[in-house]
Amino acid sequence: MNKIINSIDLNAEIQWVIAIILSILVIATTTFWIWNKFKPSKLVNEMILRTRSWWGMCFIFLFAATVNPIITYIGLAFLSFFTLREVYTLLDLRDSDRTTLLLCYFSIPIQYYFAYQGWYTMFLIFIPVFMFIIIPFFLVMAGDTKDIIRSMCILPTSLMLGIFGISHLALLVSFPEMNNDNISGKALLLFLIFITEANDIMQYVFGKLFGKHKILPKVSPNKTWEGFIGGVLSTTAIGYFMGFLTPLSSIELILISFCIAIFGFMGDAIISAVKRDFGVKDMGNTIPGHGGFLDRIDSLSTTSSPFFHLIYFLVIV
Amino acid sequence: MKKLILILIYTIFWRNFLKIFIGLKYYNRNVLKKKKQFILIANHNSHIDTMAIMSSIPSRYIHRVHPIAAADFFGGSKFKEKLMRYMVNATLIPRKRAESKEDVDPIQVMSNLIEKGRSIIVYPEGSRGVPGVMTDFKKGIGYLINKHPHVDVVPVYLDGIHKTLPKGKNLILPYNCKIIFGDSIQFDSFEVDNIVKKSKDEFNKLIKNRS
Repeated sequence: MNKIINSIDLNAEIQWVIAIILSILVIATTTFWIWNKFKPSKLVNEMILRTRSWWGMCFIFLFAATVNPIITYIGLAFLSFFTLREVYTLLDLRDSDRTTLLLCYFSIPIQYYFAYQGWYTMFLIFIPVFMFIIIPFFLVMAGDTKDIIRSMCILPTSLMLGIFGISHLALLVSFPEMNNDNISGKALLLFLIFITEANDIMQYVFGKLFGKHKILPKVSPNKTWEGFIGGVLSTTAIGYFMGFLTPLSSIELILISFCIAIFGFMGDAIISAVKRDFGVKDMGNTIPGHGGFLDRIDSLSTTSSPFFHLIYFLVIV
Repeated sequence: MKKLILILIYTIFWRNFLKIFIGLKYYNRNVLKKKKQFILIANHNSHIDTMAIMSSIPSRYIHRVHPIAAADFFGGSKFKEKLMRYMVNATLIPRKRAESKEDVDPIQVMSNLIEKGRSIIVYPEGSRGVPGVMTDFKKGIGYLINKHPHVDVVPVYLDGIHKTLPKGKNLILPYNCKIIFGDSIQFDSFEVDNIVKKSKDEFNKLIKNRS
């Protein structure tokens, strides 16, 4: 038991963030509970369900992110796996694609192994260079050319969405140049996830409160200009105040938080459009109140790689 | 000994494998907990079906539950038969009804099992058929229930499992899928045709209410 406690090395900044997250959860839970007592409605019920799921997700995430790096890699790899499985269940793929699907699943452990070793170049080119050539060739080897273009486009893209983006979270923890005396990968990971999820919540809240002018009327009726602008501004502010997790200067912090907000919105919009094409409201029903895995990590899969490379550019180069 | 093997294979291995890697979700599995003896009827599209159902049975009496399998497909050699008996706990029956006295009557085999207090798993469609399509039930299930009207009949709908291992393929792939247990069927009369029709209706209800 002592060994486990000792292996959890948390510096003061990370402890602060954990305290902030827990207090937000407590405040949200009590607020919605009181609100539900006085004025019950469908919206409050959904909020309560969502907050309850947030509790679960926060505990799993904090456990995976702080206890042991190995658990972080395995947890993220499973997250990629569940996401891919969710996408492939909804996609109506051909029977002859089955062997290639197995290859797609096998690229998860390989990509996370590169992340674990911190092999920067190999990690970066494995999916966008190698898999983009190998997967179409595997499809060709199956010998079924009817509708092959569809599979050739979908499968590599699904890897970009499900594995490439999320595995950058693992690379943050292992990358040697990001884990030294004045910069900690774990803290950056917490910063990124906190800002991305705060952006999701803020866009939702501002949209619900002030939303009038639709930004993408044909794709997602819930996204409004008011929600977008309010979300971006508040996310930038939150990022500025959470800056103690990073070694960045104020200008850089504002720039990075702004970029995360924009990219988060893009990821959200992309997955919304995909869902619209599938004809479903949610990707799955795994997380009560939120939908499937991809409904929750849609913005994370597009913010993590830009964030990593911005940090790389600003701090290391 | 046999019970231990079955628990190891199904309750420990298959249940976790199906849950974590294949993405199978169990719905309303508790209906089996209170029942001592039952006839499970399920739709059939894949070999994984039997594994999914067996893995959801409470380990206390897993050794008393027998999937019914066709002798011409799963029998044939001594080794296969032994494997089916010890690893799957299956009982093999011929597909055709008895025509002369030497032939084994499939209905009689199943009804003997039930008289011994065992539970059985039956696929009333007869074979795996086309993926994702439910065909009409064979009449055999009607004759069987007609003989034993007091045994609970539990419908089980397997949703999407045919994608993980379709007929004619030998590669198991992960897909999110569901196994949904219904409440036991209340028959209003025990005529053979009525039983077949009623159980089919009950399945359609399950399919409608899934989600």
